[in-house]
Order: sequence, then C-alpha cells, then structure tokens
Amino acid sequence: MVTVKKQSSLTALKRQEKRLGYVFASPWLIGLFVFGAFPMLASFYLSFTTYNMVGVPRFIGLTNYRILLFNDNLFWPSLWNTLYHVMLSVPLGLVVGIALALLLNTKIRGMGFYRTLFYLPNVVSVVALSLLWLWLFQPSFGIINQVLDPVYRLLNMEPLGWYRDARLSKLTLILMGLWTAGGSMIIYLAQMQDIPFELYEAASIDGANALQKTTRITLPLMTPSIFFNFIMGIIGGFQVFTIAYIMTGGGPSRSTYYFAYYLFDKMIHDNNMGSASAMAWILLLITLVLTMLALSLNRFVFYLGEQK
Amino acid sequence: MVSDTERPLKQEHTELPKLTMKQRRLIKNSILHLVLVSLSALFMFPFFWMLTTALKTPAELLRGTEVLLPATPQWQNFRIAVTQVPFILYLSNSLLLVSLSIAGTLFSTTLSAYAFAKLSWPGRDTFFIVMLATMMIPIQVILIPSYILYAQIGWLGTRLPLIVPFFFGGGSAFYIFLLRQFFKGIPRELTESAIMDGAGHFRIFWNIMLPLTKPALITITLFTFMFVWNDYFGPLIYLSNPDHWTLALGLRAFQNQYSGRFDLMMAAAILVMLPTLVIFFLAQRQFIEGITFTGIKG
Amino acid sequence: MKKTWIVSLLLLMTLSLSACGWFGDDDETPDGRIEITFWHMSPVGSDAYPGTRRIIRAFNESQDKYFVRGTGLNFWDYWDRIGVAIAANNAPDIGFHTLDNVILRAQNDALYNLSALIEADLDAGRPTIEIEAFLENQLEFATYEGHLYALPFTATTRVLYYNLDAFAEVGLTEDDVPTTWSELYDVAKQLDKVSGSTIERIGFDPTYGQGTYHGYLWQNGLDFFDEDLEVTLDTQAHVDVLEWMINFNTGAGGFTRNQLNTFGEGNQMLGLNPFAAGRVGMIIETDGLYQTMKIHGSDINFGVAPIPVPDEDGIRINWGSGFSIEMYNNKDAERLEATWAFMKYLMDYDTQMELAEVNGWLMAHYPAMETFVQGNPILEALLEEVQFAVDKVYVPYAPNWHANDWQRYYDDALSERRTPAEVIAMARANYLQKQENFEAAN
Repeated sequence: MVTVKKQSSLTALKRQEKRLGYVFASPWLIGLFVFGAFPMLASFYLSFTTYNMVGVPRFIGLTNYRILLFNDNLFWPSLWNTLYHVMLSVPLGLVVGIALALLLNTKIRGMGFYRTLFYLPNVVSVVALSLLWLWLFQPSFGIINQVLDPVYRLLNMEPLGWYRDARLSKLTLILMGLWTAGGSMIIYLAQMQDIPFELYEAASIDGANALQKTTRITLPLMTPSIFFNFIMGIIGGFQVFTIAYIMTGGGPSRSTYYFAYYLFDKMIHDNNMGSASAMAWILLLITLVLTMLALSLNRFVFYLGEQK
Repeated sequence: MVSDTERPLKQEHTELPKLTMKQRRLIKNSILHLVLVSLSALFMFPFFWMLTTALKTPAELLRGTEVLLPATPQWQNFRIAVTQVPFILYLSNSLLLVSLSIAGTLFSTTLSAYAFAKLSWPGRDTFFIVMLATMMIPIQVILIPSYILYAQIGWLGTRLPLIVPFFFGGGSAFYIFLLRQFFKGIPRELTESAIMDGAGHFRIFWNIMLPLTKPALITITLFTFMFVWNDYFGPLIYLSNPDHWTLALGLRAFQNQYSGRFDLMMAAAILVMLPTLVIFFLAQRQFIEGITFTGIKG
Repeated sequence: MKKTWIVSLLLLMTLSLSACGWFGDDDETPDGRIEITFWHMSPVGSDAYPGTRRIIRAFNESQDKYFVRGTGLNFWDYWDRIGVAIAANNAPDIGFHTLDNVILRAQNDALYNLSALIEADLDAGRPTIEIEAFLENQLEFATYEGHLYALPFTATTRVLYYNLDAFAEVGLTEDDVPTTWSELYDVAKQLDKVSGSTIERIGFDPTYGQGTYHGYLWQNGLDFFDEDLEVTLDTQAHVDVLEWMINFNTGAGGFTRNQLNTFGEGNQMLGLNPFAAGRVGMIIETDGLYQTMKIHGSDINFGVAPIPVPDEDGIRINWGSGFSIEMYNNKDAERLEATWAFMKYLMDYDTQMELAEVNGWLMAHYPAMETFVQGNPILEALLEEVQFAVDKVYVPYAPNWHANDWQRYYDDALSERRTPAEVIAMARANYLQKQENFEAAN
C-alpha cells in the first residue's frame, strides 16, 4: 500500500517537475533575458568592431581576433601567465581553505574570535593588505627572508627576490592571495554544519578516531562545496587582476601581466573596446571549455541527496 | 612510612587513564590555541596596522615604522571622518540598498537553485552552463552596454539598477551555484519521507530545504551584505543625486581629499569595515552544529 | 529565528526609507529655468565642496534664465564615471576632462566647437571669453582642425623641489640650487645620507616623483614621436638619456641597486611622498606636492626651482598636464545657450581667482593667476614654470604611450634585467606593432 502510494506520488511529481522547473527558475530566467542578455550580446558584437568609446562602433569582422592571435606581443604571454596562475592557485587555494575550515570547526573556547580573525583580510582595506605583503615578502627587510636567512647562509645562496624576481613573481602573488582564503573557508564551514550528526555517532560506535572521521565522513561530504570552490577558483583565477595591479604593476618583465590586466589596459588606456571585448570572449571560451572539463569531475562529488 | 609511599603510587596507577584523558585534551587544546594564535598574528596584522595608523598623529606617521603605537590615540580622527560627510544619510542609504538586495538575492537564488538542484526540466543543463558563463565574462566589457540598457529603461539617476536586478538573480550566479550544491547535499531520506507524506515541491522547498541549508543562506546573506556594502562602483555609475550616495562611495571623497594622510584614510576605512566584521561574527555563531535526521518533521 | 531576521530586515528598511525623507535635496528649484548639469571634482566631504557650491550658486543667483546643477565626484572615480557617460551619450552639459586627449572627443563629435561660439558672440557684439588670457602652449592641445573644442581649466607644471633644511645641514644655501644636470649631481651627492648600508636620505633620483623619461628627452630636444606621430626612439642620444636617468645613483661611489630598491620600498611603506617625509633632498614634482605639504602640516623648509637642464644648450621645458573644461554635445540648443553662459562665467578673471582659492589649483587664466600668486614665492615660482609646461601629445594608436606602454619596458632597465638600449628597442617595436594594428583595425 505504502509503495503504491509512493510510486504514484513520485510520477505525479515527475510530471509536475517540467512545469515547476521553469516556475522555480523564473526569477533568474527573467533576469537573464531582461538584464543579462543584452550586455553580453552587445559585448559579443563589439568584439567584431573598432570602438573607442566616444564615437560609434564600426564593424571590422574578425580583425580584432586576427590581431590578437597573430600580431600581438602581449596576448600570448599574458594568457600563459594567467594559465600558470590558475594551475597553481586553484589547488593551493583549495588545500588552504579546507585546512583552515577543518582547523576552525573544532569546538574550543573563542572559536568565533579566531574565525573572525582569519576572515579579517577579506574585509580590510587593500592598502593595509598590500603593506602586510610588503612586510612579509620584501627581499631585504621582509620577515620571510629574515627568517630564511640561516637557510640561505647554509645553502650559500642569494636571498629569494619574491615579487621582484620574474621567475617567482607569479608564485609570490599566489601565496599572497592565500590570505583571503577566508572566503572559501566560510563556505566549507557552512557545508560542515549540514553533515548529519548520526554519521559521526555511528562512526564513534564503530571506534573511528578523529582522523578517520575527517577523511571518511567530513571530507567526502564536503565535496559539493570543494567542487564549487574548484569551479569558482577556475573562473575567478582566469580573471586575476587586482593583486598584480596593486603589487607588481604587471612586472617584473611582464611576468605578472595577466590576461584580465591586459584587457583592462586595452579598454581604459588604449580606448580599444573592440579588442578588449574580443579578449573577453576569448577568455570566456577558454574558461568555458576548462569548466566543462572540470564539470565532468561531478561524478566524484558525493551528494547525500543523490545517494541510493 | 613505607605504606604511605606505596598508597599514592597505587592511586596514581589507577587514576592514570583518567588524568591523561584530561591532560591530553588540555594539551591538544593548548596546541590548537598556540597554532591559532600564531597564525592569527599573520592574519590580524593588516587590521592592527589600520587601527594604529588611524590613531596616530601626522608627525608620528612621518616617522614611519619607528613608531609602532601612537603615544596618545587620536580618536578624533574618527570624528573628523564622521562629521565631514553626511554620515547618517550615507549610512541609511547603504542600509536601504543592503537590506533590499539581501531580500532580493535570497528570494531569487533559493528558488532558482532549487530548480537547478532538485527539478529536472528541459534545458536545465544548458541553462546551468549559461549561468556559469555569465560569471566568465569580465565585468568591464559589459559595463557600457548595461549602462545603456538602464538609460533606455529610464532608470538612470534612480536606485533601481542597484536593487531590482537582485530580485532576478542579477550577479547572483555565484550564489545560485553555491545553493545548488547545498540543496543536492541534503540527504534523500528527508525529501523522500516528505514526498511519502504527500508534500509538493513548494513544501519541500520551504519546509525542508530552506531550514536545512540555513548555514548556506547565512553565508549568502553575508556575502551579499559585504558586496553591496563595499561596492562604490555601482552607486558611482548609476546614482546622480549625491543624496542617494552610500557610505562606501561617500567616504571615498573624504579619503581622496586626504590621500597621503593615512591616519584619516584608515579611520574612514575602519568605519566602512566594522559593520562587516560585526555581521561576520554574528553569522559564524550560527555555525555550531550539524543537522540531525530526527526532529526534522517537528 | 527566521522571524527575528525578517523583523530586523523590515526595521532596517523603514529606518532607511524614513532617513531619506529627512534629507531632501536642499538645492533651489529651477522654476522654469533651463537646467544644465556640471560635473566637477569637489564632492561632498571635500574641503573644496563649500566653495565650489558657492561659485555655482552665485551664477544661479546672478540671472534668472539658467540653472546649473553641480555634481562633485572625487578625482579617483571621476574618470570612470564620465567615460561611461560619454560612451552612452549621457554626458553632463559641462565638465572636466584631460587636456591632452581633447582631440579624441573633438574628432568623434562629442564636443561643441567653442571657436564658433566665440565668433558668434563677437559678431553680435556680446561679451565673450578672452582667449588671450590663456597660454598658447595649453590652447594648442584644445585645438582640433583649427578650432577650439575645449579650454584649459587648470595649469599643472613640474618643478624641482628642494629641502632647505637638508641643504643647511651640509652647508648649502639657496644659491646652490642646481640649474644643470652636473650641478644637480654634485649637490645630490652632498645631500646623500647613509647609516651602515642603509640609505637614510637620497639627494636626488631622476626616477622619483614626477621625473619622467619623456620629460628628460624633451629637455634634450628629443622625443618619443616625430611630428607625424611616427615613433623615434632610435638614436644613441635616447639611450644616453635613459642611462643617465637610471644610473644616476649607481655610479662610482654610489649605491647598489639593491640598496636603492630597499630604500624605494621603504618609501612605499611610508605611503607618503618621500620629499614630504624628508627622505629625499630634491625631487621633481607637480604643484600638487605644495598642497600635500600643506595638508600634512609639514614643517620642512623648502623652495621650488625650474628643473635643471642637461647643459647650457638644454631646453627649459616641463611636462604640464592640466584639466580641460569641455561642453558636451547634447544636441539641445537651449541647454547649449545656458552652458555657454556658464562657461563664460567659469572662465572669467574673478571666477578663476576664486576657483584657485577654493581648490588650491593653479588655474589656466594667466592674468588672474599672476594676481593670485603675488606674495607667495613658491606659487610665483610655480606659475613661472607654467609658461614652459607642455602637455604630452595624443597618439591615437598608443594613447597611453608615456605610462603603461613605456613602463612595462622601462622597469626592466630600472631593475637591470635589460640594458637601456635593449629596453628602448623593445619599446620601439611595441609602438610599431601597435601602430600597425591600429591601422589594420581603423
């Protein structure tokens, strides 16, 4: 009797779903067509024009794309810098964010205070943050090099130049970016609150220790938000710009001249909106392809709502 | 004498496991505190610098790092920042935008995320990709078309471009995706038992999904608060009446005026920043317990 | 819990809505007048706001046909706002911009032709703007195809600031202020101060403040571009100037690059002009530094002088980069009339005096400024140099040639990763490519 009722209500729900899907999604769908579509399509059109943002755009076909791909000495280097950044910053950001969240999910006194402290860099003024980074990474008086001084002496090597060394600058900016890992930390913390108690209780009864609980329960059940931060890390990583703008101005030797930085310069300083739009759509295409690849990892994500 | 020395030994032997349990926890907690405190220093420094800078005299600023702490804290720097701009006006403008955009974001993102997480409808997966794609286009290149769009609707000079889009998931792809992940993580047992009780999707959405994803909703509220509160660019571009300006935009005029006077600039920056800290502290306090299968129906 | 949230949200909203009611717009209503908009850089909260407001109000009260509504935006944000507005044909009737790229907007029909308006006034015997009050070197940048499309509004100039306290410390006086590069070097070296291996004060560094490569090139009669806007940068003389500039402090008995870098980052941490902090003895800066020193209440005893020239044949010239004032083509005859009346008001002798007072800027109206600076030796010296100030040329294929385009390569020379000759060759190649691409797309 129960199963029959269950079956029929399930099929009724299935039929409802098609219609309900649009109903539930309607706020976003309406927003997409009313506010989102025109600006996106307009920028797509502008990528085929020459447009200085004062006069009127003039259609020039694929010229912007051709120039960018074949006759622009900064396009490929800036793309490479960006790829380098994404490849390193995404995994590093995930590890640090998860580690922070695990650390700050323990129940000890003053945890709220600690959590707030670790979130601080996300809200302080950029000036203050950039000064912290200078304090730490400055090659001659920075704290890091002072701490590492004995190591340098031991290995008889020159102190690392960090952001002043073209080989290390991208890495240095990635390390600096870790100070704002508090943003993803809070998402992980939120997800940890949704892990059912019963699972931990059952594990305790089975004699699992803290480490086992973390690796067998917490981490697998955090995969939805890990996956989220992974995808967002890719999307955000491709748009990296501000930190280079503040700390290195794209240098040294254009080693931190990222794609979005170049795009910004084209628009703001060269009045070349056509080319900037073409860059934006190339960026979108690259990000989209990589995101689609990343989405295939979805099958490793452990959604409690979809477990049979 | 001999028995006297023997007895404590015996006692110690029997109490050993109990004591070490306590000790172990004590040691574990101390280590944890030690790790947290030492890491905190690295994370707290920028704020420490902001605060001490805001309280220094110009003469102390000139001496740079020689002076770590101000001799006499210059609290009036905060007063100057507050009195030189119409602070209450800007504050209430900010609060208006913040509260409406939070309401709009929660309304549109929860519904849309449910559609993406729990319902199957034609085009869902395509629209999901489109949603992600809206985040992949650098904001700069859609600024001018958006401005033209709002000019065409006749919304320039009003607050509408800064409020209405939030009710339609504008700029909220991030949150929809986030909530989708959380909705999908809600155990099947919970939704299935509701369906057995004859609940429809609206009831599942309202009675199960929303209460159970409270931490995620709080996170979204926090992020929206932070974004709208700190955003000076949107108000700069779309508002023409200075009486509609927000705190973030209004205080920039003050900071620009005194660029180079780090004491005054930081006093203003702290004023903008403090509410976000308070909100964060309050929000994370909700993150204290997991969910339980039992007690959901009640 | 949910209820508390909703209630507090509603409370917030009522509070903010009612707050909006309390603070109405207190500007007079136009009552049938022609209303125009004016964007300036004195926002609410800035020191110049009350004065700017007074100036606008005085105009509104002086007649009953036109009404000007002013909007003040801070300097950081002004450019984004007006850029978007111009692109969307939504510009104010009158506003500030940068003098060096007036041509771009004139070419694209975004501005009214002021020459035509002046001529019409003269034909009708109406009072009009006295063009003679403005310097030729500034007017030139507001001119496109023989017509004026903007007016210079402010006059920015670059000069040598010198710290007289530091001079006195090493036994120098105002008579020792250098006038040539070799004197500059001698004085600078005397002002250097070192403790151990740490630099405490640098006498002078050509790369600091507003010292620019193109500025030094101009003093030598060289430039980045020729008259047809073709890139030059191909002579040994170009390389020599860059070498002089970056090796000024690393020569014999000088500092190491690492010492200089550390010193430079120390300045950055201070967040303050190094001259105002007493860390450099002499620096090239704009008239803005004078204002900065005033705001900081600096007690440094200082003076200003023309930037030293390379040698006796050197050219007395400095990079001037002032604001323009422009009337945006909003295709409305009535508003044009109102805007032109306001423009004439803003650019007359008295208003320019008042604007200088209010903003602390040197204005473009030269006779007004001559009166304004009287009795202030620093301002007098600054105004003197305005006559030798030249703006940078607008190069359509590389509008930002002096900053980003150059900086990317210049940095390599500054950090000794590449030689000056290599850097100049790379920068030149980049300009050539930009030109080629610009021509392909336009």
